[in-house]
This record gives sequence, C-alpha cells and structure tokens, in this order.
Amino acid sequence: MDRSAAANTRFRLAKYMGILRVSLQTALTYRANIATGLIFYCVYLFVFFNLWRAIYAGGGVEGLTFQQMIWYLCITELVASGASVKMDIDDQVKTGEIAYQLIRPYSYIGFQLSSFIGEMLFRLAAFSVLAMLIGFLMVGPIEGFKVWTLPLSFISVLLGIGISFCSRMAIGLAAFKIEETRGIFLVYQKLVFMLGIFIPIEFLPHWLQLIAKNLPFSYVAWAPARLMVGFSWELFAQIISAQLFWFAVTLGIVILQYCSGVKSIQSQGG
Amino acid sequence: MYAIETDNLRKVYRVKTRDSGLKAAVRALVRPEYQNVEAVTGITFSVEPGERLAFIGPNGAGKSTTIKMLTGILHPTSGSMSVLGLDPMRERRKLSYRIGTVFGQKSQLWFHLPPSDSFELLGAIYDIDKQTLKKRVDDLAERFELGDLMKIPVRKMSLGQRMRCEVAASLLHEPDVLFLDEPTIGLDVLVKQQIRERVLEMNREKGVTVFLTSHDAGDIEKLCKRTIVIDHGKIVLDQPVKELKHRYFKRKIVAVRFAADTFVSTDMCLPEGVEIEKRTPEAARIGVDTAKIPIDEVMRWLVGQGVVTDITVEDPPMEQVIASIFSEGANATCEGVNT
Repeated sequence: MDRSAAANTRFRLAKYMGILRVSLQTALTYRANIATGLIFYCVYLFVFFNLWRAIYAGGGVEGLTFQQMIWYLCITELVASGASVKMDIDDQVKTGEIAYQLIRPYSYIGFQLSSFIGEMLFRLAAFSVLAMLIGFLMVGPIEGFKVWTLPLSFISVLLGIGISFCSRMAIGLAAFKIEETRGIFLVYQKLVFMLGIFIPIEFLPHWLQLIAKNLPFSYVAWAPARLMVGFSWELFAQIISAQLFWFAVTLGIVILQYCSGVKSIQSQGG
Repeated sequence: MYAIETDNLRKVYRVKTRDSGLKAAVRALVRPEYQNVEAVTGITFSVEPGERLAFIGPNGAGKSTTIKMLTGILHPTSGSMSVLGLDPMRERRKLSYRIGTVFGQKSQLWFHLPPSDSFELLGAIYDIDKQTLKKRVDDLAERFELGDLMKIPVRKMSLGQRMRCEVAASLLHEPDVLFLDEPTIGLDVLVKQQIRERVLEMNREKGVTVFLTSHDAGDIEKLCKRTIVIDHGKIVLDQPVKELKHRYFKRKIVAVRFAADTFVSTDMCLPEGVEIEKRTPEAARIGVDTAKIPIDEVMRWLVGQGVVTDITVEDPPMEQVIASIFSEGANATCEGVNT
C-alpha cells in the first residue's frame, strides 16, 4: 500500500518533470530565436544605457546612483525576458487544441506551469549570464553590494515571475468567456513596462507611486530589481510580503477561472 | 457493462448572433443577442466492449460534440452517459487513462519534437513505467512502420507520416476505448488502409472498443461492424454495417463483358428496374433495382443478349449508401432507431 502510494507520487512528479524537460528541449531547438532574443536584449540595454547616461549627466537623479540605475535596467530586463515565455492558452481555447490537453491525465494548470518553468529556466540562465556580463562591462559592480543578498533578492525574482505567470494565465483563461484576450494582454504588458521596466516607480510622481505600489504590476519587474540594487531588510520584508499577497491573489483568480471555465467550455468546431 | 452508454444526451450551445452590417455590429456590441443551437438533441445508445462502431452523419450533425461529451471535454446540457462505467464529467482524469483519442484535424504530438520524445513524454504522462513503455513503443513502431520516423521532428513530417504517429500515440497507454474523429481525413489510400488495418488488429488482439466518426465510406465499411447515423443531433439509424448495406443496396451494380461482337443491340429494350450506367461495344455496367427485378432474372436477360465471358455483381460504394440515407431523410428510416 505504502509502496504503491510512493510509486504513485513518483510517477506523478515524473509527469511534470517530463513536461518541463520537453519544454526546455523545445526552447533549445530554436537557436536563431535564442540568438535574436539575446541580441535584442543587448541593443535594448545599450540604448537605455546611453539614455540614462545623458540624464545622469544633467545632474543626479534622486534615490538611485547611475550604477544602480544601469544594474536596475539589466535586472528588470532579465526578469521580463524570463517571464515573457510564450503562453498560448487563448489560442488553445480558440482553436480547440485545449481538447487534447483536457483529456490527458494531468492538471492543465500544472502542465502550463511545468512547460513555463522549463523555458523560463533556460531564459533565466542565458540572460542572467548576459546581464552580468553587460552590467560589469558598462558600469562595474555596484558599490557596497553584498553578495549574500543575492539569493534573497532572487526569491523576489522568482515571485515576480510567478505573478507574471499567474496574471498571463488568468488573461489567457479569460478566453473561455470572452472571444479576444489580446487587448487585455496588451494593457497588462504596458502596465508592467511602464511601472517598472521602463523606469523605477520611485521616479514617478508621488501620487502615481502610491497607486503603483498598490497594484500587482510593479511587483513583476520593479520589485526584484529594486531589491537587488539596493537591498535592505525593511525593503525586503515590504516587497516580499506584497509579492506573496499578489501571487496568492492572481493564483486564486487562475484557479477560480479554470474551474468555472472548464464547465462552460464551448470547445470550438463542431 | 457497456463500454459506452448514453441516455437522452443533449447539448445546447449558446451562440452569439448578429445581422450583417456595421449598424448591427455596433448593436451587438452594446446588447449582444444569443441564440440557442441544439447540437445534440437527446441521443440514446450503447456500445458493447470490443465493438467497432461508426458514428456517421453530415457536417454539423453533432458527431464531434458527442465525442467531446463522451471524453469529458464538453459538459452535456442534460441527459446522462457513462464510459467504461465512469462519468466522463466527474471522473475525467480517471477516464483519461483508459481512453485514447485521435482528432484528425488536431495534433496530440509535440510539434517540435521527434515522436520518440513525444512517446516518452506521453509515457510519463500516462504513468507507464520505462520497461513497459519501451516494449509498447517498439511494438507500435513496428506495426505502424515508424522506424525511420522516430527521430524526425513532427513538424517536418508529411500528413500521412504524422497521422500514423498520432494513431500510434493514442494507443500507447493501451486504452479500452479508442475515439477516432475523422482519423483518415486527407490521407492517401495506402495510409488509410494501413491505419484501418492496425486499428482492426488492436481491436482483435486487445479488444479495444472503437468509436469512429468519418466521412470516408471505406473507414466505415472496412473498420466497423455497426453504424449509427446521426443528423441534426438525432439518431436516424442504428444498424449493423452489413444490414445497412443490404438495406440500401437494393441497388446492385452488374458489370458484364461479352465475347467480341456478340453484344450489338444498341437500342435494346431494357427490363424494368435495369438501367445502363456505362457501355462499350463489348462491356457494360448496369444498375439493378432488386426490388423491381430479381438479380437472377437480370442474369438470364443478360445471357440472352450475347455470349457472356465475365460477370460480376457488386454493391454500390458506401458513399452512395450514405447519400441515399440522407436524401431519404429521417422519416423513412426511423424504424431503425432503438433496435
């Protein structure tokens, strides 16, 4: 009895590990795709490097040093790349591809998560090497940076990606109810970009900062990058608790949506 | 216990409708209008374990909807069903270990991966241990002649190659029921035949119940023993394929060949119920309505027309049978229901 139960769990885990491995494999299949991603990343950083240099030349910017700013840029982009794994839930719902997913003995959310993690692991690995390289080349290490804060900040990176996964999953699953989700996705993407990737939210007007800190969007990219370039225990507690909160909320939405969505699914195509 | 059992199964879709034109588009944006479309209107049937059933009907008849309900993807509006004694809605996960599916229009393989990887992953998904998996993959690869294909990414395959892999993949976990939704669509004769033969083999060897939808008469004729014909969400006919053929094969095709120059009468007087479909100076294809004239009378008549060197009597192709069922409509055939 015990043995079969143990075997059962092992099999179950093997399932998701298998999915993860395959998605990693798929990511590795497309070398050209990887190369363009990496080149684009470099170009993007180079453009913003020059932009920020010009801005900082005209006088200091409150809160962050130039060095911190560039590292902030590298890290938000790293998180964004890690989180931007393509998920085509809405496509699957629209084309009816989801039918095959639903008649297999695994959890659909678990399946999506495993394949997401697979590709994300690859991206994180590739882009973090590049981010470090570029960061060191452009501005060198941040003054007073403590290496032991790195794993702590990394928790925040993972939570940021987790929030991103859940939000996008929630948007994708909305395809069960509404026909087109691309619009919502675009809005979401822009919000994450404006409230973190483009500029740290400290640079926003005070009232907007307040709003941003009470919305989930800045906890995807701003939070981990901010923590990484200027770690303090106070900030850590603040950011991690907010991230945990938004992760729980978005995950809850995903589960609710999935459960109600599957019942009302109108698989396309007679 | 039946392999599949449904009782008054219904599915109603709610479909957004709007008139054409910009004005109507704007109106639909503000106040969308819905229409209920009854895709399946209460069907009752049962399938014995090991049976091979063809579930046929024109496009939009409700075939795929029924399959989707039976596999637990769609929830029926009302009625009940059970597949292998399980409720597909509530026990979808449990059921999924025991059914296999092939949707001809969709793929269940990983597009970017060679089948060997897909099979391995499916093995993990269906909790098949490594040794068993290897045995089954080898066996299926041999049956479907996948040897050379195992290492080619699916995206680079031809449709025929891919479908062989698809069907093999659906059999990997040795399902008790195999749902085939237009599995041979777009395939050439050889691949069609290969797929039919292999499925038949699995049915005979492992007792897999086969539930097939197809527009291909050959699939039905070669693969299935029983047919359910569905139209507008209703069962219009439920009969053994043989009987169906017999019933709709009142019409026979007689091909006859005569010794040179003995068959000359060009404007001969045809008996009632006989018509010539095609003729050459020494041969003819003749359609016979056996309700009007017994076949032996036709033979006798033909022998009188010249020196017969060869003669064959055939059933018309399944396409014609199906076409005639639909053209006759539901009324003429509804006595076939629930027998």
